[in-house]
Amino acid sequence: MVETKNSEPLIRVEGLRKTYTDDGVPVEALRGIDLIIYPGEFTAIVGPSGSGKTTFLNIISGLDRPTEGKIWIKGRLLEEMSDKELSDFRRDNLGFIFQAYNLIPVLTVEENVEYIMLLQRIPREERKRRVRQILKEVGLEGFEKRRPPQLSGGQQQRVAVARAMVSNPSLILADEPTANLDSETGGGLLDMMRELNKKTGMTFIFSTHDENVMRRARRLIILKDGRVAEDKQIG
Amino acid sequence: MFWTFMKLAWRNILRNKRRSIIAGTAIGLGLASLIFVDGMMIGMVNNMIQAATGTFLGDGQIHRAGFRRTQEVELTINEAPGIIQELEKEPEVVNFAPRVLSFGMITSAANLSAVTVVGIDPAREQFLSKVDEAIVAGAYFQKENPQDIIIGQKLAETLEVGLYDRVVITVAQAKTGDLSQEMFRVSGIFNFNIKEMDKGLVFIPLSKAQQMLALPGQIHEIALKLTDLRIGQNKDHPLWKKYSRQGNEALGWAGLLPELSYALHFTDFSIFFMALLLVGVIAFSIINTLFMSFYERIFEFGVLRAVGTRRSGVLRLILLEAASLGIISIVIGSILGLILVLIFSHIGIDYSGIEFAGVTFQEAIYPVLHVGQFIRYPLWILIFTIVIGIYPAIHAAKITPADAMRKSL
Repeated sequence: MVETKNSEPLIRVEGLRKTYTDDGVPVEALRGIDLIIYPGEFTAIVGPSGSGKTTFLNIISGLDRPTEGKIWIKGRLLEEMSDKELSDFRRDNLGFIFQAYNLIPVLTVEENVEYIMLLQRIPREERKRRVRQILKEVGLEGFEKRRPPQLSGGQQQRVAVARAMVSNPSLILADEPTANLDSETGGGLLDMMRELNKKTGMTFIFSTHDENVMRRARRLIILKDGRVAEDKQIG
Repeated sequence: MFWTFMKLAWRNILRNKRRSIIAGTAIGLGLASLIFVDGMMIGMVNNMIQAATGTFLGDGQIHRAGFRRTQEVELTINEAPGIIQELEKEPEVVNFAPRVLSFGMITSAANLSAVTVVGIDPAREQFLSKVDEAIVAGAYFQKENPQDIIIGQKLAETLEVGLYDRVVITVAQAKTGDLSQEMFRVSGIFNFNIKEMDKGLVFIPLSKAQQMLALPGQIHEIALKLTDLRIGQNKDHPLWKKYSRQGNEALGWAGLLPELSYALHFTDFSIFFMALLLVGVIAFSIINTLFMSFYERIFEFGVLRAVGTRRSGVLRLILLEAASLGIISIVIGSILGLILVLIFSHIGIDYSGIEFAGVTFQEAIYPVLHVGQFIRYPLWILIFTIVIGIYPAIHAAKITPADAMRKSL
């Protein structure tokens, strides 16, 4: 296990196991993971398909429940939270970037970005100000009124990044964020996220196969058959 | 947040316009049917009431208490002249007609038949009943001949008589029971298209009937024509209490024809039952549309949940989508219903001659447009659509974000 900073852990995972039932056959996706993630990390979780990367992200973000083990985020034990508390916790502390962008197609760019702040009941003026600012940072000024289907893949992923970051969460979870992008677009997006990481201190955790991501990550956690095979700091 | 969900709901519904319009039209057709059937029922009820009251009965009647049950000729209205004077001044009474009624026998050269002999005041009667309009041969007491008689077409066939033929009426006189016989000449033949009336009623002048029954100046019945049919429907209306005195009994048409009242309740039940059936069909349309829409964008619900939308938020969103679908259906259904009722309220639906609940329809049924049809049924549809939406809404709210996004995350 690699500890990058001398501060309180952002995420602590102990003995994490997850078993799915697929057509009545139990499948062990995670087989006992212990891990600590510190604030400000830019970490990539890598491994072959089926190694448990996505399952791991789902569970540490409260999108799914573990079969065994405990997860603390910002000192709070996830299993003690009700569904409502988990929803509120995700809303206030986590940002998500998905491989398929997963924007809401009927909302415009600015409405997609603004949505989380609506859930947080942030005043209108403040919402509008933050939307303008984040869209400028991700290079999407002038695209506010467009809907996702009217954007390229790279642009949609930038909207997803803006949506994930606009509420200043402590942690951004990105699942294969560059998988649907060409190398150049993906590289540009990663550079942008790395800059935001440096600038804001937000923690980024990626699950990826992409060399581009691995090259830029400051920490690599390699999963194999549901276990941590290697965990190393880079640079 | 409500408006954000509302905006999302409308955009989601309008996302697949063709499907929403098809579903909205299917539900709207159900609504249009409800509006049309309701209009039709109002038209039918009006028709039935008009047929029952306008033909001969009147909107209400006054009798001596017990006469309706026993038909005893001695039971004449108490203080009839005073009542008639009061009725002349009654603002809710448009017209009235005094009558004398008795069981009797009619005999021709060929045959005989039991009938109800009705003595009428021809001048007053023509403003109250449709005896004059139902004449198909001869005339309606034109020459004021006391020996004139008007009989029904079916009775004329039974007696094998025609215009100006002679018939003999036999009745039992009041108090003594002595038989009284008079010869009459058939001056008119009527056809109400109601078998019982066409076969069982004969009309003679009031004074002649009073003379035959030995009831000088006395009457058995006063039929009333009122300013509003609803007075006759309301059994507790003050008019009925006012004239139910001195041993007399005043009743509106609802009291005189209880079977018609039951039939009207039956029509209410029919509408309710039909509404249930239609609503059942509509339910499947709504559930199908909402589930198709739900499964098509299941990942979106996963995303909404992932970014912090609570289960209750997803639930609200689906219910708002159901409500939006309901509103589209209401617009389509109300327009279709309005067009249908307007068209048929002009051309009518021909039910004449058909009997229902003891009443024979005399005219075509004209569906009636009523503002309540465009409030009550659309409201039902809206509430029902939302209630039906609860099932897919709970289904959507229960799904875990990871399951919803499994394909995309």
